[in-house]
Amino acid sequence: MTKSLLKTVTTEAKLLLIGIPVLVWTLVPIYHMFLFAISSKDSATSGRLWPQEPTLQNFDFVFQQKHFYLDHFWIQMGNSLLIALTVGFLTLLIATCAAFAISRLKVRGGRTVMNLALFTYFIPAAFLAVPMYKTMGLYGLLNTQWSLILAMVTIASPYCIWVLKQASDKLPFELDEAARMDGASPLQLFFLVYLPLMVPSLVAVGTYSLLLAWNEYLYAFLLLSNDKSVTVAVALGNFLSADDSPWELLMTTGLIYALPPAAIYYTFKRYMVSGLTAGAVKS
Amino acid sequence: MASVSFRNIKKSFGKTDIIHGISFDIRDGEFVVLVGPSGCGKSTLLRMLAGLEDITGGDIVIDDTFVNDLEAKDRDIAMVFQSYALYPHMTVRENMGFSLRLRKADTRVTQERVAHAARILNLEALLERYPRELSGGQRQRVAMGRAIVRDPKVFLFDEPLSNLDAKLRVAMRAEIKELHQRLKTTTVYVTHDQIEAMTMADRIVVMHDGIVEQIGTPLDLFDHPGNLFVAQFIGSPSMNVVRGEFKAGTNVVESQGVQWPVPPNLARHAGRSVHYGIRPSDMTLSASAQGVPAQVVVVEPTGAETELLLQVGQAQLTMVLHGRTKVNPGDTVHLDIDVSKVHLFDGQSEQRLD
Repeated sequence: MTKSLLKTVTTEAKLLLIGIPVLVWTLVPIYHMFLFAISSKDSATSGRLWPQEPTLQNFDFVFQQKHFYLDHFWIQMGNSLLIALTVGFLTLLIATCAAFAISRLKVRGGRTVMNLALFTYFIPAAFLAVPMYKTMGLYGLLNTQWSLILAMVTIASPYCIWVLKQASDKLPFELDEAARMDGASPLQLFFLVYLPLMVPSLVAVGTYSLLLAWNEYLYAFLLLSNDKSVTVAVALGNFLSADDSPWELLMTTGLIYALPPAAIYYTFKRYMVSGLTAGAVKS
Repeated sequence: MASVSFRNIKKSFGKTDIIHGISFDIRDGEFVVLVGPSGCGKSTLLRMLAGLEDITGGDIVIDDTFVNDLEAKDRDIAMVFQSYALYPHMTVRENMGFSLRLRKADTRVTQERVAHAARILNLEALLERYPRELSGGQRQRVAMGRAIVRDPKVFLFDEPLSNLDAKLRVAMRAEIKELHQRLKTTTVYVTHDQIEAMTMADRIVVMHDGIVEQIGTPLDLFDHPGNLFVAQFIGSPSMNVVRGEFKAGTNVVESQGVQWPVPPNLARHAGRSVHYGIRPSDMTLSASAQGVPAQVVVVEPTGAETELLLQVGQAQLTMVLHGRTKVNPGDTVHLDIDVSKVHLFDGQSEQRLD
């Protein structure tokens, strides 16, 4: 009894020993950001662990767009949101259809598509930035949001196709056959059987591509140049273009910018549960 | 209800031939069991009838309609899968009504049919549950319910009981048989379990390596197996077979010095090399010291019956005794063979000799 208790305690202690540093390591930068956001301009770099006079003034500055760098904050936020949502939606659409066609309908050449998708990841996205810029220029899409949307969909899709293909391979094939016997057309199979069962994977993949687009800096910086068309990520970068950057405003904007992903994550977390297919077939 | 006809059906996967030309007819309302060892092509044949596999050669006809090129959904066939294949995101009610929903049937009609099927299968209390909340037997019944609701021309069962435990299997066996007697829908049932085949079928189709070995009623197959394969496949414990010479001018088959009696009506086959078959229940222990001498190896009492494993020459034989016995392992006994129940098969072709 005491021996097993001792063992439990040691295991627990070991976990804590790893867990606490990791937690601190992760939280310190976020706390730092928060600290800047609630400090006034003068006290922001004072080095204190808690400001002498905490203030929400910075948030007011950002929301009211009361700074040169923040002139188009709400438009840029809107851009980020529009681009992220469109990328999430388009990627889901493409990846779901591809995964369904390859995994369930077993179309010819599916393997080749999968291999090509994997192949795209042999080349780092940064290498493709210039060709992508050139391509978008050829299509006359530069400085429009479509350029970033299309670029991000291109980058996110292969991974999402892989993930969804693997996930749909795990759905028992008998379900498709049962649906066919019941009289389902491929479209009915897709909407009535396949999609409902894929919800956890769809949420995961959708969130992934949405956040990928939301956080993207390089491509956004390259493809968009107008102050009114850039995303918040790029706008944040512009804060650093002068010598005396308003750090407290940069951090406040950053904090605000980090909230939607957190909200999305917590909203969709409960859908990402596995075990939805339990009971379909005897395993 | 419908009759089904297979006409010279062939199936290949790539260059591998799975089914080599099978022809037989299933009558309207008949319960036919396809039985055979794994890989004999029985499931493939069923899936071809269902429309889930393409037909490489030959024709399948349901009620005078050639269905080769008909989609599964247009064949009006319902299938119960080995793994049940219930839609996990739908309740029992939705699972059972799914096919009608796809047909855009009237809601009231759907409700009625689901309720009717649920009543037949004793599922009324479970209609709002999800498959994950059901036991194996209940899931199996829902899978059957899904088939019944459609009121199809033909029911197909693909090893529906192999995922259930032994006791439940026996119960479900009776349930399916009773269901068939009630609905009288033409049924094709695939199993590798010959007991299932024997107990449920109106007729059994024994398959082996992509061909039909024999078709007949259960007792017909048991009493008159057409060849050595069927003889050993049907019946449990399986038939004892020894290889020997049917010496000309005698009425015995001699195998490794042991003489096995042959009935007079088979005497014309004398002079051949044969397989001599006798079922475990067609032998008794001789009271006198006459008959085939054997040594008892194992005694397995099961209560009502006792199974003996015997050594005769080089061969090991099984014997089933009704009631109990006092013999012990190591004892020497003599076997009385019921000569009228002896089966002879040709030594080369393994075909039955009558």
